[in-house]
Amino acid sequence: MMVPVRCFTCGNVVGEHWEEFDERANEGDEDPQEVLDDLGVDRYCCRRMLVSHTDLVDVVSPYQ
Amino acid sequence: MSEEYDVEFVEREEREARFLVRGISPGFANGIRRAMVADVPTMAIDTVRFIENSSVMFDEQLALRLGLVPLTTPPEGEFGEDDTVTLSIDVEGPATAYSGDLVSEDDLVQPADENVPIIELKEDQRLEAEADAVLDRGKDHAKHQGGVAIGYRHLQRVEVVGDLPEFEEQESRIVRGVIEDDGELVPTSEFDHDLSNRYPGKEVEVEDVPNAFVFHVETDGSLDVEELVTRAADSIESRATELEEAVQL
Repeated sequence: MMVPVRCFTCGNVVGEHWEEFDERANEGDEDPQEVLDDLGVDRYCCRRMLVSHTDLVDVVSPYQ
Repeated sequence: MSEEYDVEFVEREEREARFLVRGISPGFANGIRRAMVADVPTMAIDTVRFIENSSVMFDEQLALRLGLVPLTTPPEGEFGEDDTVTLSIDVEGPATAYSGDLVSEDDLVQPADENVPIIELKEDQRLEAEADAVLDRGKDHAKHQGGVAIGYRHLQRVEVVGDLPEFEEQESRIVRGVIEDDGELVPTSEFDHDLSNRYPGKEVEVEDVPNAFVFHVETDGSLDVEELVTRAADSIESRATELEEAVQL
């Protein structure tokens, strides 16, 4: 639903990078790899948290 | 009783550092690592009282998200294990509630990262809650872990033993961590972790330096690296003292 606050594996805080990542890599046309490097998300455990995440708040909210 | 150790920083930032410690046994190195992960108390939200939550997520889901937000940990001695600090959050949609919206009653305990989205609120949705933060250890819950991805490696000594035969193609030789070359410490990232980049045309030998460990320490922002390492060392000392007193006749 919302982006996880921390990486499941290592506990690094990844939530703070989501909005920028989403804007640049998902909405924009930048290379996700470069965006993640730029954000300082180095480990692949943290990188998959952002790459594989989908926001579902918009999908769920009509059913409140 | 305290012994002196030779500690040298290779890289040093507020939240991430690499340092070399000489003259410790592998067991002690692991002890420090474990103390950094599980034994340094940090602040984190533990109990949340919801006054209003009309968002798309349940109370307990939001409480977990709030708990995972790193909070700055006050200097040692300021708080005991049973003290609580209350933080409150009040956000009305349409907006996103961020960790930075948490208002703390104590200046020493603040969200370390302000941009963590807690929940996206739509029109007419509101989140109002009070949260109690407590001091606890990584042993009890991962949210109290100050250190993130902490590890250590042997320091490796690289020696040039000769030239490669003239017409032989050099194979790549991958090492990771920090190498010692004539007393100089070089992180392997400087030469893309490949010794053939640093010593083209040379034959090299790599060996572990006994009892020298390079720690890589990263924190989630609740403490800075230096604070985390010293508190970890202090916690080992206090436990050792406790044990000594307990077994005395």
